[in-house]
Amino acid sequence: MHYISKLTYYLVIILIILSINFFLPRAMPGDPLAYVLGENPDMPTRMTEEEREMRLAEYGLDKPLLEQYLNYMVGLSRGDLGCSIYYNTPVMDEILVRLKWTLLLTGTSTVIYMLLGIFLGAESAWARGKKKDTGSLITILTVSSFPTFFLGTLLAIFFAANLDLFPLGGARIIGASYANPFEKALDILHHLVLPAATLIIAHIGGTYLLMRNSMLSVLGADYILSARAKGLSERYIMNRHAIKNALLPVVTMAALTVQFMIIGTIFVEKVFAYPGVGNLLYDSVLRRDYPLLQGIFLFIAISVVIANFIADMTYLWLDPRVRDE
Amino acid sequence: MMMRISDLKTHFPTPDGIVRAVDTIDLSIRDTETFGLIGETGCGKTVLGLTIMRLLHPATTVEGEIIYKGQNLLEASEAEMRTIRGREIAIILQNPTTSLNPVMKVGEQIAEAIRLHQGLNKKDAAAKAVEMLDAVRIPSPSQRANEYPHEFSGGMKQRVMIAMGLACNPSFIIADEPTKGLDVTIKAQIVELMREMTERKAMLLITHDLSVARELCDRIALMYAGELVEYAPLKGIFESPLHPYTRGFLGSLPERGLVPIPGMSPSLIDFPDGCRFHPRCEHATEVCRREHPELVEFNAGHFVRCHHARS
Amino acid sequence: MTGVTVKDVLGSLGLGILVILVAVSIFAPQIAPYDPHDTYKPMEHPSSEHLLGTNDVGNDILSEVIYGTRVSLFIAFTVSITAIVIGTALGLIAGYSGGVLGFLIMRIVDIFLTIPRLVLIIVIAAFMPRSIWTIIVVFIIFGWVMTARIVRSEVLTLRSQYYVESARMLGGSDLYILWRHILPNVIPLVVVQFIMEASHVIIAEAGLSFLGLGDPVARSWGTTFHYAFECPNIITSDVWMWWMLPPGLCIVATVLGFTFVGYALEERLNPKLKTVVGMGV
Repeated sequence: MHYISKLTYYLVIILIILSINFFLPRAMPGDPLAYVLGENPDMPTRMTEEEREMRLAEYGLDKPLLEQYLNYMVGLSRGDLGCSIYYNTPVMDEILVRLKWTLLLTGTSTVIYMLLGIFLGAESAWARGKKKDTGSLITILTVSSFPTFFLGTLLAIFFAANLDLFPLGGARIIGASYANPFEKALDILHHLVLPAATLIIAHIGGTYLLMRNSMLSVLGADYILSARAKGLSERYIMNRHAIKNALLPVVTMAALTVQFMIIGTIFVEKVFAYPGVGNLLYDSVLRRDYPLLQGIFLFIAISVVIANFIADMTYLWLDPRVRDE
Repeated sequence: MMMRISDLKTHFPTPDGIVRAVDTIDLSIRDTETFGLIGETGCGKTVLGLTIMRLLHPATTVEGEIIYKGQNLLEASEAEMRTIRGREIAIILQNPTTSLNPVMKVGEQIAEAIRLHQGLNKKDAAAKAVEMLDAVRIPSPSQRANEYPHEFSGGMKQRVMIAMGLACNPSFIIADEPTKGLDVTIKAQIVELMREMTERKAMLLITHDLSVARELCDRIALMYAGELVEYAPLKGIFESPLHPYTRGFLGSLPERGLVPIPGMSPSLIDFPDGCRFHPRCEHATEVCRREHPELVEFNAGHFVRCHHARS
Repeated sequence: MTGVTVKDVLGSLGLGILVILVAVSIFAPQIAPYDPHDTYKPMEHPSSEHLLGTNDVGNDILSEVIYGTRVSLFIAFTVSITAIVIGTALGLIAGYSGGVLGFLIMRIVDIFLTIPRLVLIIVIAAFMPRSIWTIIVVFIIFGWVMTARIVRSEVLTLRSQYYVESARMLGGSDLYILWRHILPNVIPLVVVQFIMEASHVIIAEAGLSFLGLGDPVARSWGTTFHYAFECPNIITSDVWMWWMLPPGLCIVATVLGFTFVGYALEERLNPKLKTVVGMGV
């Protein structure tokens, strides 16, 4: 029952996102045609009335709004996100080419920062009030104050430009021919380290703090006392009794932290010239490539909705009380 | 003698001052007796139970001796305590709803102690847990063992708590308010179950419910403001109570008209001078305000802490 | 009973940082050695004339960063104050009156929380003219959401409490009850929320400007960083030290100031509140 109502809710959200995407250029204070053509509003192209009408018809902008909306939806259902102004190719193609890199970067970083944040938060709570706890709390609050792009730039300067331990940017050596797949994987990994490290360091704070606070309240719970009364060791109690309960709020907020992570990817990809969707977003902002920009927005928004859905399902799996409601 | 507690003091710091939850207690519990510890909420009786188990916050200071089977528990190491908890001494905590882990199956919560103390493997421990559920009369135990606490009613959760406490066959049981919040019928069932399950064991029953104590206990002690004010065999307490507090407590029983004791129990931070009960006592005199009375043996086995004790 | 705690130290440290930054932004014209728009010889290294050198078009970097304090703090305070006021008002309405209006507000809140707000902000900002007012408006549109949610749930708790009920039975009007009984209890939450929002805006604005969506004239720290980043070979030479590091560290210091103050306040006012750090930028 839960699953179905959640699924319906997220489908409605997706519909809303699609509609926002449609109305955005039409609700903005400029000429929708200028957006499709990617004009700089400070230097509008001079067009005759005829030229203008021809262009409007070409993009279907002369039709009634409802018809435009339906066309847009039909197009979407066929995977048609329009055409990039800069590349003059379908937006969908441009995104798909770069998607694998973004998935690799975001996926790796998400798994690591979640596990690490949960682990450090639990350890910190376990050592509450001690030097170790205070130390990691202050370190993490400080590190979390760095904007991702600044942190990434600093890491690039120290570890790539100065120490030359890692490449300055890119996802692999361009034009390299590899002797075997292992070598190729190693090269990709080598390029992945700094961007992933940036994302992890910049985003670990949220999960760490949530886990720490949640663990602190769990450690005061009666069932922990109950477990101690059975003679169980502290380590066992932490692993078997405390962590699962403490994870519940972390999972509730996971979708939000993953959303931050996805946004952070935009900045990291720019800093490290990583050939993913985030970098494409940066370029399309500078080039005023609105169709491409909107296509990327759709992709990111929908993946965030999916992350929400996964988080909800995980919660159901973890908490038997909600499952039975 | 199963346990002898002498000169026990348990104090812990709070932002408002030092709470003297146990201040000073002497008592001993025989091998198979049920010893009732009675008192109003906030008199320190739960803290006494947790002190015996050494389950209090590290900032707590505990003085005195708790001799269990010849060993002073207050000097035992944490590792030694872990082999005692659950196996030798078990505590049945109050509030089953919050004392059971909401995200762990009930059978598992019983089985983990069995695996730890009796060295059984996962499967045998699970089977033993089902046996325990059966012993506390939970219907279809093998199925219930795989359910979570929220699927159990209040009375059933209390049964689970009892099964959990008794799983490793401890020789000493501390039961903290095992009947709190249960309706009359269920309460009677739980009392019956407790009687049966602890027949040949020593038990410290902590409760504010005299009617439960009357059903189960061999001896009863009344605790007030961190100390014992009277203790005696069951009959002595019910037929010839000596302390005004005991008499007041008996008067609050339903069949005696539910007359509450006037006034409020004192905070455990600031005790009144002299007898700690004197502000609420109708017989209080000058000496009660001035001098703290000692616990004296008034009749054989009947102790009382009152300047004006009379039959 | 206890002495100086971690939260006291962090709180004072944070407050100190914020006071200095506010002072710098107020007295920017007095402190800055030059007008940030005046041009000198471009790409100068630090010297006694230009302590942090000059940028690619010859502006004095130190002056640009000092004036950047003004821009960044102005945006942060304008956005968070407005967003908090709107969020509190909507939260009070949603919590106190319930009904269709309350339902509608909460559905909008849910949707806003699910959609990645910074990406939508980027897209909207990309459609609008580059100016600090664009940034202020888009941030306000999305900034009230969390406050509204927190205020509403607090109001729901308060409403069921005895004294509000009795005030109502005594015939207090809704507005009176909101003003006298509910608002004072909500204020501490709102203050913490204000601090959090301000630090979110600082970091998000920096991100937006880093993407080149900042005001090219009134340059915030993020915008300065953007131009530095767009300059070729900057990180392989030493130029980053005076062009990137100062604005970057200013952003970190400000966010840290807000975070520490917020953390200390939160622990004091409502230990149950949980800090969520990060905006994604």
